[in-house]
Amino acid sequence: MSEFEIQEIEVNHRNLIQKVAFDQCGSRMATCSNDRFVKVWDKNSDGDWTLTSSWKAHSASVWKVTWAHPEFGHVLATCSFDRTAAVWEEIVGDMPGPRQRGTRHWVGRTHLVDSRTSVTDVKFGPKAQGLLLATCSAEGIIRIYEAPDVMNLSQWTLQHEVQCKLPLSCLTWNPSLSRLHPAMIAVGSDDTNMNIGGKVFVYEYSENSRKWIKLETISNITEPVHDIEFAPNLGRSLHILAVASNKDVKILTLSPVEDDQVAQSGLTKLDIQTVGQFDDHGGTVWRVCWNVTGTLLTSTGDDGCVRMFKMHGINLWKPVAALKGDGTHVPTAAEAARSSQAAQTARYIKLGSIQPNRELRH
Amino acid sequence: MSQDDAKIFLIPNELCRRAGLGATWKPLNQFAVFPHERRTVRQKDIPSNFASTAQSSVFLVQHSIILYHPILRKLVNESSGTFLTVQSTVSSKSSEFKGEILKLSRQYRSIIRACLENLQDEIGKNNITNSERDELRDYITIFYSIECIWHLCEILFIDVIPGNIVLPYLLDWVRFHFPKHERNAALLISGDVTSLELHEDYWPTVFGNFLQGRIKIVRTLLRQNSAFGSSVFQLVDEVLKTMPTYNVINSISINEFNLQWKHWTTDIQLKIDAKQFITNHNLNLLMRLIVGEEEAWAEIQSHCETWYEFLAGWLFYTEPSVKSFELGQFAKLSIRKMRIKDHMKHLDRVLLAAMEFDLFEVIKEIQHMTENGWFVCHLADILHHSGSLSVLEKEVENFTSENLRESFLLDYGTILMGHSSLWEVGLNYLDYCQNIGLQAVELLLPRIPFSTETKAHKLIREARNRELHSVAQSICKIQGTRSLKRGRVGNALTWALKSQDGPFTSYLADLVLKKYIENGELNSTDLLDNLGSCMLASDRLIFLGKYNEFHKLYQAGEYKECGHLLISLLASKIVPKYFWSVLLSEAIPLLESEELVFSANDTYTIQHCLEEKEAIPQLADKISILRLAAARNLSRALMFEAQLAQ
Repeated sequence: MSEFEIQEIEVNHRNLIQKVAFDQCGSRMATCSNDRFVKVWDKNSDGDWTLTSSWKAHSASVWKVTWAHPEFGHVLATCSFDRTAAVWEEIVGDMPGPRQRGTRHWVGRTHLVDSRTSVTDVKFGPKAQGLLLATCSAEGIIRIYEAPDVMNLSQWTLQHEVQCKLPLSCLTWNPSLSRLHPAMIAVGSDDTNMNIGGKVFVYEYSENSRKWIKLETISNITEPVHDIEFAPNLGRSLHILAVASNKDVKILTLSPVEDDQVAQSGLTKLDIQTVGQFDDHGGTVWRVCWNVTGTLLTSTGDDGCVRMFKMHGINLWKPVAALKGDGTHVPTAAEAARSSQAAQTARYIKLGSIQPNRELRH
Repeated sequence: MSQDDAKIFLIPNELCRRAGLGATWKPLNQFAVFPHERRTVRQKDIPSNFASTAQSSVFLVQHSIILYHPILRKLVNESSGTFLTVQSTVSSKSSEFKGEILKLSRQYRSIIRACLENLQDEIGKNNITNSERDELRDYITIFYSIECIWHLCEILFIDVIPGNIVLPYLLDWVRFHFPKHERNAALLISGDVTSLELHEDYWPTVFGNFLQGRIKIVRTLLRQNSAFGSSVFQLVDEVLKTMPTYNVINSISINEFNLQWKHWTTDIQLKIDAKQFITNHNLNLLMRLIVGEEEAWAEIQSHCETWYEFLAGWLFYTEPSVKSFELGQFAKLSIRKMRIKDHMKHLDRVLLAAMEFDLFEVIKEIQHMTENGWFVCHLADILHHSGSLSVLEKEVENFTSENLRESFLLDYGTILMGHSSLWEVGLNYLDYCQNIGLQAVELLLPRIPFSTETKAHKLIREARNRELHSVAQSICKIQGTRSLKRGRVGNALTWALKSQDGPFTSYLADLVLKKYIENGELNSTDLLDNLGSCMLASDRLIFLGKYNEFHKLYQAGEYKECGHLLISLLASKIVPKYFWSVLLSEAIPLLESEELVFSANDTYTIQHCLEEKEAIPQLADKISILRLAAARNLSRALMFEAQLAQ
């Protein structure tokens, strides 16, 4: 692994950041925080990030923020402790004149108020199925909303409510681009009772019954689950899922099985294998996230580290690097200036590193 | 899993240390790290203990990518050309295949050497800072090592060595990487000839060249010695002159050569025993080296910078017919003799692994070089095609040479895709990943930022070239949506047509029509004039196109044609609800025109529509005028048609 370098963006949230999300091209960034605000940042041609919008999006902590596919315009969804999820659209004001960019601002298109408890996650569905939005909540319900007219984002209909019985903490759509794969969602529960069984559930949309059907409960994950994400699918027939739990990071493969029963019911049957399991965080794992090609996974957890795992074949994953905060190594402005590369316009500084030792583990 | 593999990097931020971290990937090759604390819904929604006035920041992290340096970008571009030639050579399946691959391997090396030269030139410039100079020095170290490893791998894994007699190649390699002895010799010989031996470099240069097997240079240097007239010098010169040589061209067999060599060294041993060289320590040492005397070789070690320089010399005199598969054991011996086993550097380890024919180890080690995978990608590719990697498939379970090569190509291609001007080069590499290359392009291409139409067109072209039509359509749709948000409806319509998105096209056509109702101006007529078969994208667009045609005919005074078109539109089922009043109003001037436009039948059609649509509120104030106009036209038409019938 080569060295790392960083660029600092001062975001000035008055409380900790809950989630950072980038648009498809990585040139816009949205941040949300316990301070109830959502902020949007744009990268300019020099590689610097500037704040273009900031608004109080909810009346309590904002858990998640996520971008819709750019085909639908500049659209965000958020969910909050205030029991709602919301859809936001950026509007360019009426200042059309030549070469004059209109003023931009974000307007709330809808507040989805169906949940009676905190909405813990919100994700837009794959664009092939139109403009879908899934939420999950502490009361244990997955809700699928649809905007029937994609040109009018103030109208959303609640298409499905799926009862999961356990309090849900996280949700992920299977991003497979293949038309052969029906829409699939996996959710995780952070219920602390280890005796009630699996905490990860996989659902599939059945075209025949027009319902979401539970395909699997992943029974070997009984610890509370805090984050979950399907890997981008590189044209594979199997799906890869990363799960952050109280114990470890798990990487699972979900392979559709072909047999008579499947042909009859029309429902997918999955063979689920754990192909990676890492307790490197030495405690609770908070977040997992895949890179664009699904070849690298990052996780964060109790040990205050970001850990990075690389794929060496579907069944073989290895830790490759880790990052952690360290306030004693803040470079001075002069050092930062010195280490920035002439070839780059934005200010990047090289990261210092230490050789790991066992004491760092809890 | 071994914890030791993972180095820990430090984010210079105190809040990140105290609170903990969150991380999110950012397309293409970066990720954001931020101070974060896991919260659950069971906790009270109160500010975190870590919330404060302290500055909170998001840190964008990326691998340091040295390949983006202008000089190294040249290397990236040139090597991609060679890479493509390798791929086309493979697919052409020419009979000269092995030779071609060897040539291309050399081409890669000459690209590296050109790059090293460029780096040297840059270092020499005055206008660079010290830190830039240090950076360039690092690059030189990296690429020097790469060239050195590549050259050895080329000898061992790509080249076909006649009779497996590897030594001449090994000497070439060492001579190439330690050119200073030859250079020093040239300096000494070309300089002041008298008392050459007093120069401090004289004997080191003699030994240096001697170890590299450059006997001619050694003799020339000795001849320049002021004591050359003495018997001991004459004798050594005579001995060196008669050294047997082996090469493919002089057509002696290896056995014959071995015999000659044995005679020659035995003869020298006799002379040493007879103390014939004893008067000159250095010359005596030379002779003792030839016969392989342990103490002599121990004495010479200090002249060698590296164990492989030593190895080549040692083998030249003691094992001249060494086979390549025996290299590993001799390499280990040299390392032991040089006593560097415990402080081997990265380069040492890779070279040793290569000599031991441990390709896995070589590939594993070269992944840790910090040049972002350039080396391992190109070397693994050429080793794969030369067949050296696939040999291992038999030895190792679940290993496929193709998959290994592909994973390196994918990593390297993805890095290049992340650069605003190298992304097209990156595509070249992904294109040659048979298994998942196309899918990777499908994921990566839509994530390349495009802010200009030119860039969008480029991306669309690349997508279409790979038959990724959905990607191309998506880019068009995004561009259409962007134009729409900026209020450029005509432009949006152009992109919507390219994206073949029916509903979006209809939506935009509606916008154009509604705008017309508002201000009486039909926009985007240039586009509408040239729609052709694109019109079929949606019913609404067909209507808009036809309506535009109607307008043009009217303006041109072609009232007859105009009337026909209007009637066919009224009779069609594609008139938008909101447009009926406009369309019917357009009939008034035609009904009232001096020249008779509508036939009786046409007029019936109009009247029929009027009956059907009379409830439309916008028509309220026009309906009586329309009815009157229609009635008057009908009477005119009936009379005209009656006359015509007579």
